[in-house]
Amino acid sequence: MVKCIETGDEALKDLFKGLLSSGAVDGLILPQRAGKSVIYTLVTDPGKVKDPAIFAPSFGFNAANILRKWLIEDKVLGLVFKPCEARATIELIKLEQINPDAILLISVDCPGTFKNEDYTANTDEIGDKLTDEIKSKLSEKGVEVRAACTMCETKLGEIGDIGIWHMGLGSTTVVALSEKGEAALSKVEGITLGDKDIDRSSLQSEIKSAAESGREALKKELESLNDPLKLLDVLNDCIVCKNCRDICPVCYCKECFFEQSLGNPRGGDLLNIANTRGDVRIPPYGLFYHLTRAYHVCVTCIGCGACEDACPKGIPLTLIYPVVARNVQDLFEYVPGMDLEEPIPLTTYQEDELEPR
Amino acid sequence: MGDEFEPKILGFTCNWCTYAGADLAGTSRIQYPPNIRIIRVMCSGRMDPMFVIKALTNGADGVFLGGCHPGDCHYTKGNYYARRRINALREILKAFGLDERVRLRWISASEGPQFAEEVTKMVEDVKKLGPNPYKEETL
Repeated sequence: MVKCIETGDEALKDLFKGLLSSGAVDGLILPQRAGKSVIYTLVTDPGKVKDPAIFAPSFGFNAANILRKWLIEDKVLGLVFKPCEARATIELIKLEQINPDAILLISVDCPGTFKNEDYTANTDEIGDKLTDEIKSKLSEKGVEVRAACTMCETKLGEIGDIGIWHMGLGSTTVVALSEKGEAALSKVEGITLGDKDIDRSSLQSEIKSAAESGREALKKELESLNDPLKLLDVLNDCIVCKNCRDICPVCYCKECFFEQSLGNPRGGDLLNIANTRGDVRIPPYGLFYHLTRAYHVCVTCIGCGACEDACPKGIPLTLIYPVVARNVQDLFEYVPGMDLEEPIPLTTYQEDELEPR
Repeated sequence: MGDEFEPKILGFTCNWCTYAGADLAGTSRIQYPPNIRIIRVMCSGRMDPMFVIKALTNGADGVFLGGCHPGDCHYTKGNYYARRRINALREILKAFGLDERVRLRWISASEGPQFAEEVTKMVEDVKKLGPNPYKEETL
């Protein structure tokens, strides 16, 4: 039994306006249509809720990325997020980067996404809600769903305070997932929540099995990197721009090691490194950087694949980060971004585990 | 000696157990291969996986990490954290075929012979693996 209201798509706009005008939230991060594209907006004026596109399967970056250091005390920000963005938000709360009282987390169903440039180029064909039919049609054109989405098990908007659901349902439904969400919705004029039985467990198991086969395929691809030199080969094109770090929602250090003089040697330091080995790549430390980053995000990586999209050189970073991270998370039986109470594995331990090493 | 491959192994040992164990191996005049270079840190909890990654990308053939037995950590729980970290790191390195070059062992201050044994075994195993392929590459 869930507390929910069937709204349809048109009324969603009124819902967002209502959340703002009723004071339930002081601002909303909302994906909206801009021309043929989808952009993210931070809206504070209800009149500026123009054309929300919350289900549009376009992924440019993980919007939780901008929430690092969101430690405002007396304002509440509503976040209309895809599940991967919502999970990143929860990880950031655990990492004490976000004040949990300063947000209202609204997650939406997401059947998978295209790169935002692919979406923009095919807006008319893809439309607002992605279906298997559209997926296969675009696949024929050579436009594929993002690799990270093929192994995603959390496609349902069941994370956070409010869910906006459409998959497996007749019409779009807004669901209160927590007391906080219920309180926020009750402030909005014209919204009356009713109790309803919604069972999407069969849909969830379908999603899970599809994700498992997607993950197997990616693991196979990863096997092609199972050699130190092959890893080096695939990183040959890396220019160490560190975009993958900057765009990663959970790579949150304020001062990255690779921005400091030890991790980003210049001048005489660089010459000294070359002297010790006889030669050095420039920019230096590409391999060191990627392996270190793989370790730093290995338990908190929510597998959104923003790193791969951000890479200007087309390096298959979904393999190096999300797929590898999932293996580590399996080791600790940890699913990042699901449970606020569950500690991050590297911050805790059990006395009797992981033996023999 | 000849041309046989002699691996260079970097060792991180904790001040309270494994370093003392290594010391005991020395004072007891137990023979073990000279391929290991030891860096003493105060606790296995201080062994940042980044040390291991840096060693490997700088051409170390292996990295040996030693700490107190579980329950015996001088700081109560440093080795428990180390165990999680190094396991996570090894899982990552496994994907790229580097995990067998990294090893975490518990050796107490009284286990000089065990230290010598573990080092001997690691040197043998790394010899079988061959040199770190990154040694000859421009990194």
